[in-house]
Amino acid sequence: MSPTFTAWTVLALPLAGTILLALGGRGWRGVGAGIVGTATIALAFVFSVLTLIGLLDRDAEGGRQIASSLWTYASSGGVEVRMEILVDPLSVIMLLVVTGVSTLIHLYSLAYMRGDEGYPRFFAYLNFFVFSMLLLVLAGNFFLLIAGWAFVGAASYMLISYWYRRTTATAAGIKAFVINVVGDVGLVLGAILLLRHTGTVDFLETFAAAEDTFAGSGSGSEGSLTVALLLLMIGAFAKSAQLPLHTWLADAMEGPTPVSSLIHAATMVTAGVYLIARLNPLMELAPTAQVVGAVIGLLTLLVAGTIGLTQTDLKRVIAYSTMSQIGYMIMAVSAGAYVAGMFHLTTHAFFKAMLFMAAGSLIAAMAGEQSLDRMRGFRKAMPFTYGAFVIGGLALAGVPPFSGFFSKDEILAAMAGEGGWMWILVIGGYLGAFLTAIYTWRMIFRAFWGPPCPEAQELEDGRLYHAPDHRNPATGELEDTHVGFPGPEHHIAERALPMRIAMGGLAVLASVGGLLGIPKVLTPMEDFLLDPVFAERGLHHPSDTIIVVGMVVGTLIAVAGIYVAYVIWGRPAQEGRESTAISSGWQERFPRLHRLFVNKWWFDELIHATIVAPARWLGRFFHDTFDRLVVGAGLVGGTTGTVRGASALVRRMQSGYLRGYSAVLLAGLAAVLVYFLAQS
Amino acid sequence: MSASILAPLAALAKLETPDIDWAGLSPLLALSVGAVAVLLLGLFRARAVREVLVPALSFAVFVASIGLAIWQWDERGSLVGGALALDPLAMIGTIAVGASGAAAALLSIRSLAAREASHGEFHSLLLVTGAGMVLFLSAQNLVSSFLGLELLSIPLYVLAATELRRRRSLESGMKYLIIGSVGSATLLYGYALIFGATGHLDYEAIATAIREDGLSDDALLLGGIAMALVGLAFKASVAPFHQWTPDVYEGAPTSVTAFMATATKVAVLIAIVRLFDVALPGASGTWGPAVAVLAAIAMIVGNVGALGQGSVKRLLAYSSIAQAGYLLVGVVVATQLGAEAMVFYLLAYVVMSFACFAAVVAVEEETGTDDQQAFDGLGRRRPVVAVSLTLGLLGLAGVPATVGFVGKLRLVEAAFDNGYGWLALFLVIGSMISFAYYLRLVARMWLGGGQDAAVAATTADAAGDGEADRDGDADAALVGGGARAERDPDVATDGGDAVVVGGGRGPSTAVLVPGATDVATAIPDEVVPEPSSRPHVPAILVAAASAIAVVGLGVYPDPLMDTVGAVADALPDLF
Repeated sequence: MSPTFTAWTVLALPLAGTILLALGGRGWRGVGAGIVGTATIALAFVFSVLTLIGLLDRDAEGGRQIASSLWTYASSGGVEVRMEILVDPLSVIMLLVVTGVSTLIHLYSLAYMRGDEGYPRFFAYLNFFVFSMLLLVLAGNFFLLIAGWAFVGAASYMLISYWYRRTTATAAGIKAFVINVVGDVGLVLGAILLLRHTGTVDFLETFAAAEDTFAGSGSGSEGSLTVALLLLMIGAFAKSAQLPLHTWLADAMEGPTPVSSLIHAATMVTAGVYLIARLNPLMELAPTAQVVGAVIGLLTLLVAGTIGLTQTDLKRVIAYSTMSQIGYMIMAVSAGAYVAGMFHLTTHAFFKAMLFMAAGSLIAAMAGEQSLDRMRGFRKAMPFTYGAFVIGGLALAGVPPFSGFFSKDEILAAMAGEGGWMWILVIGGYLGAFLTAIYTWRMIFRAFWGPPCPEAQELEDGRLYHAPDHRNPATGELEDTHVGFPGPEHHIAERALPMRIAMGGLAVLASVGGLLGIPKVLTPMEDFLLDPVFAERGLHHPSDTIIVVGMVVGTLIAVAGIYVAYVIWGRPAQEGRESTAISSGWQERFPRLHRLFVNKWWFDELIHATIVAPARWLGRFFHDTFDRLVVGAGLVGGTTGTVRGASALVRRMQSGYLRGYSAVLLAGLAAVLVYFLAQS
Repeated sequence: MSASILAPLAALAKLETPDIDWAGLSPLLALSVGAVAVLLLGLFRARAVREVLVPALSFAVFVASIGLAIWQWDERGSLVGGALALDPLAMIGTIAVGASGAAAALLSIRSLAAREASHGEFHSLLLVTGAGMVLFLSAQNLVSSFLGLELLSIPLYVLAATELRRRRSLESGMKYLIIGSVGSATLLYGYALIFGATGHLDYEAIATAIREDGLSDDALLLGGIAMALVGLAFKASVAPFHQWTPDVYEGAPTSVTAFMATATKVAVLIAIVRLFDVALPGASGTWGPAVAVLAAIAMIVGNVGALGQGSVKRLLAYSSIAQAGYLLVGVVVATQLGAEAMVFYLLAYVVMSFACFAAVVAVEEETGTDDQQAFDGLGRRRPVVAVSLTLGLLGLAGVPATVGFVGKLRLVEAAFDNGYGWLALFLVIGSMISFAYYLRLVARMWLGGGQDAAVAATTADAAGDGEADRDGDADAALVGGGARAERDPDVATDGGDAVVVGGGRGPSTAVLVPGATDVATAIPDEVVPEPSSRPHVPAILVAAASAIAVVGLGVYPDPLMDTVGAVADALPDLF
């Protein structure tokens, strides 16, 4: 089997799963839908591995970048739009990450969503998401990329709003969709701008033409390349939740926890990173775009890190952490550290997906409660979940030898090796790492240490806590449990075997994922990726000194961060002090800073004030003045008015009288005749 | 004495008969022979024969005609002394007509129309119509063209009225007959003038005469073209010659409407392409702009008229007027690419229409009405039907990843490449307007049903879409003892109390005599379709198959593109 055949199969499987699940509708009984959904994705993973093997079989010199086109969809104005995928090391790595993590998360959902009213619907959505994501990463031209991009946004919307009777969930879904569409517009405009200059939508052809089209000095097209890339990056920022288009991600936590794990941690939000890495030949030609991307990434990782320090909603802490980590990746791929960025993407997918799964376990034990203020002392009640959290926390904080250590370090070392202005990125990156360690371990200490809370006590005594009535964790309003979780049945990862397998698998990967890229010793990922995807482009290898110093500094910072968290939350918790009391003590000491962080730097308010409110005001203004006076008063007539009037006219002509119809027919005939005779 | 009797026969024997290529003629023959066979089979009294065997045979004949057309696909030439063309264009047309007929035969199972016309006659008429269409679309001289037109029209008049004891069906048949005669007469007059101007009946010969005698601005010829254009535009329901369409489509039995909307359009548009692009390309500078203007008017009238319709069949009728406008774009440009785009969209249109009409049949079967309100919450009741109808409507609207999108793209491209950019703009704007009524129906299917009628009425009123007109109609029927209210009382734009006003305002219309309000006495025992509790499985199957084709060909249009690519053979004079 050729790699292209297997890649097409990878794409076809989740689509088949979606159709099967959707057609079955309510006909699915029990866990049938879940098993079908999981099986198709697992099979897709197998085929991804086959694709990898097929690619490895081929000659490393130029043989590993294969475009395969099934048919031409449209050919117009000299532009051929083909149904085309691009199989190369970059897309194969994404395939492996997406299908691999998805398989485990499907497995997890098998138990987690059990008992939910819309079980088949959930798996149909989830399979559709996987299909969209695979379409996005396999796309061989901008056309399919945009299609996949939009599908992913739609799937995300459906999954965030999955519990559609929860008002906060539907609002969050709409917010995510709108911000994503802003990104889509940027993506489409950027692709069209590139098309105008290169005359092709195909990736490989665009890259081949880029050098001649844009690099020529004084042609003025260099500027348009920068503009095009910035537009494309708007798409990347929206999808990857980077400043200032990041506000949807925290709200997206309204979705079921497996969704947060799959879409809003491991896969969809990394699409922006993938896009920038995919476009690396173009990025290299537009230094301005590179700087913009790197700076946005840096700002995001810092801002999100500080917000993470103060959030009390468990899932939101992890969400801000995701944002922050993706900031690292965007910074890396924008600055030219492509391999390091992709490496971090991979390891992050492992440990972040697992953290979310573990969080899901905690939330289930709390019967839907997500606030850290309420959780306490789960260490004894849930040792497995605790272990997962610790491994995830160590990996996220960047403690050797866990995977996050190597990948984060590689990013910062690559930039330090370049020197110059990139030192700003390096210093910011280490600052971010310090914050990461603090907020991650704050979360762990608060949830797991200290004397057990009532829910944990129940669990220790062998019972599962059930909430008397189900309330929306965000607003506290009473919920309609008809829509599912947190319904009467809830499963915690400790007890359900599929969930244990999923978490265990990811825990192993999070621990040993570093083997994919230990500098100088073992670099399989880099060797695989460099040729032909990144080739000679990007940053050069840092010197040995920098690597060693970077590793030492990184370790020290991570340990220091964990220690700070221990001093602030761990030790007092052991002594039995309430974590809320500790927090409020710190809040009183730094009231302004706390307000800034806890209000998420007022980004929501800023966007509201600068975009939503003016738009609304403008809309109202035009409605009140222009619309009413100019359009409404009939000076112009108004499109709908015209259409409606015409519609009325057409329907009035339709009298039902035969004589009327004949008259119109003959009048028309006369008009046509007059025209023709006038031509003679 | 015997010699005097035998003399004419002897003369007949000496007559030189044209050489007949039976193989090339086989699709047409199959339909004609099939019509007779079905008619005879329908004489059997056994119920099983009439209700199962007759539709099955009719279906089989239509399928056979498709098979024979595929068999003759690679043949080129002319039949019956040049009267008919044997080329891929004719074969594509035959296939489309055959497919429409087969689908219509399936849709008419269990229908009142077939029962009223005792099955055999109904299906026989269907087959005769099909034969007429094949004749019409492969005709390449004026006489056979007119013959074909009449052969397809007359059975259709009857078919529209087959539910003889249902007022609207009868009315629709009568209207179609009378207005149709005006159209046919106009066409015949036009053909006569063209013959008079050029002295030829053959399309090729006409083209040569125009070219060599410099007739392209001859008043007689242009007058003929004008009248022929009007006659054909009438049959294709191009505005402003469309007015019969909504009434007939709504009144006729739905399976007949489906057949009429698809197969007739196929036959007429291919006939238009043949006449204008084979016989009259020399005068394209003159007729091009006229056809373009007609196309634009059709797009506007169709899309705008569909906006406030309560009956889904009526909505689809207006939509088909707009679609006819889109299709004409491919004729206007008078290039091979244009004709290819037109034929592509024609086939797409057939598939999309069947997705819609089959769904309407399925809904009508269970609710007894095609009112928009009957589609409320269809997504919950019959998800397959709802999905099919949704895809069909989205295809007609031209949403990407449907075959309608690919077709419109090609039409727009053809228009832009040949200096008809403004027409392409009309097409795009028309499609934009069309979203308003297509999506409203889609929304009804998936979101409707939850709210009570009062709320629905208020929203309808607020939206100004005049959906209340059907309520008004119903009211009139109740209050006025069956008085027929104006078809489209424009209630909402007038404001005020929609229901009451709508019922009282419209002039009461009977078939021919306005003012004869008491139709109830004219047809004492009106028979209307009864709602059935069983789902209409054949209709659901047709809808689902069409919907799959809409999406399948929308994502993978290559097979259709390749097929259509052969069409150019038939149009040698175009570039």
